[in-house]
Amino acid sequence: MAFRALYDASAPRLYGLALRILGRPELAEEVLQESFVAIWHHAVDYESALSAPMTWMSAIVRNRAFDVLRHRRSQGEDDTLDSAALASLADLAATPPERLQMSSDARALADCMAALEARHREVVGMAFFHDLSYSEVAHKLTLPLGTVKTWIRRSLARLHACLSARGAG
Amino acid sequence: MNLRGNEALRERLASEYVLGTLRGGARRRFETLMQDDVALRRTTREWNARLGAMAEFAPPVAPDKGVWRAIEARLRWQAATPRWQFWRHGSLALWRTVGLGSSALAALLLVVVLLDRPGTAPISDIASLTDEAARPALVVTADRARGLMTVRVVANVPLTAQQALQLWAVPRAGKPRSLGVLGAGRELTLPLPPDALGSDVAALAISLEPKGGSTNPDGPSGPILYKGGWIRLM
Repeated sequence: MAFRALYDASAPRLYGLALRILGRPELAEEVLQESFVAIWHHAVDYESALSAPMTWMSAIVRNRAFDVLRHRRSQGEDDTLDSAALASLADLAATPPERLQMSSDARALADCMAALEARHREVVGMAFFHDLSYSEVAHKLTLPLGTVKTWIRRSLARLHACLSARGAG
Repeated sequence: MNLRGNEALRERLASEYVLGTLRGGARRRFETLMQDDVALRRTTREWNARLGAMAEFAPPVAPDKGVWRAIEARLRWQAATPRWQFWRHGSLALWRTVGLGSSALAALLLVVVLLDRPGTAPISDIASLTDEAARPALVVTADRARGLMTVRVVANVPLTAQQALQLWAVPRAGKPRSLGVLGAGRELTLPLPPDALGSDVAALAISLEPKGGSTNPDGPSGPILYKGGWIRLM
C-alpha cells in the first residue's frame, strides 16, 4: 500500500531528524508515530505548503519534536543537547555516501554551508536542530550574545547569496 | 515595524523566522504581517525550502518496527475519508508545485492523498507524466490485480474540440504502443494491456493528436507533450 511505501521511503530520514533533535529513541519514536498520523490526515493540505514532499514532512517532524522539547524544558528536565550532539553539529558537511541519499536542495545547502566557517555553521545548526534562541545559543557556547547574532545573521545572508548563485548558474 | 520596501530586513526576518531564532513578540508580529503580505509569505516559503533541507543532514536511522505497527493501529480506527473530498479540496494543484528531484516521493505522497484510503481500489503502479519543466500534467495509475489503468489530467491542458491526448507505452526497442486516447474528459479508465507495464517499457508518453487519435499507424503523429516512467508500489 502506498502509505506504507511512503513510510518506508521516508521514515529513516525523519526518524534520524527526530533523534537528532530529541536525543532519546523513545521520544523520537513517539514523534515519528505522531507525525505519520498527521501526514495521513493532512496530506490533503499538502499543496498549500508549496514545498517539496520531504521538506513538508520534515517540517511536521521538526515542529512536533520541538513541542516535545519545549514541554520537557518547561518541566525542568535535562536538556538533551549533550556534548556529543554538539560535536556532531560542528561538522554539518555531509560525507559522499550521505550526499547520494540527499535531495538536490539538501546537497546545494550542504555545499553552501561547507563554505561557512565551522563555528558559524555550528551555531546555525544549533538553532535549527535544537530550537534555541540567540541568547540560549550564546549561553551554551559561552559566547557574547552580539557575536552569536552577528554570526547567524551573516551566515543566513551568505547562504542566501550562495544558494541564489547556484540557482542562477 | 515598517517592512515595506526594506528588502534586506524582510529577508532577514523571514530567515530568522524559519531558523527559529525570531522569538516571542517579534515572532508573533511577523506572523501578523505575513497574513496581509503575499510577498512576505513567499519570501518565508523560499526560506523554508532553503533551510528546511537542513533536516536531511541528520543521519538516517531505521526506526523500530513497532513504530509502523503503532501508526497502523491508530489509523485503523479512522473513518474512511471519502474520495471526493480530495477533489473538493482541489489539491491536484500540488502537482504544479512539485519539483523533479522529489518526483518519486511526490508520486507516493499523491497516491496517499488521492487514493490510498479504505474502500478504494489498490494501486500497483503509478506514473507521473511531466512537461519539459518537470511540471506534472497527468497521473497514470495501474491496478494489476483487476487489470485496470486510470489516466487523470491534473494540470490545465488546453485542448480544442478537434484535439485529443494519446497515451503511449514507449518500449526500449520498436514502435510506441498506443494505450488509449483522451478527449475532453479529465479522467479515463481503461483495461490494462499486458504490454503496458512490461520490463521493456522505457517510458510513458502523451502526444497531442487530432480527435480520435494518431493518424500514423506507427506511432504519434503530433508532438510529445508529456512523459514519465512507472513507479511500482506493490
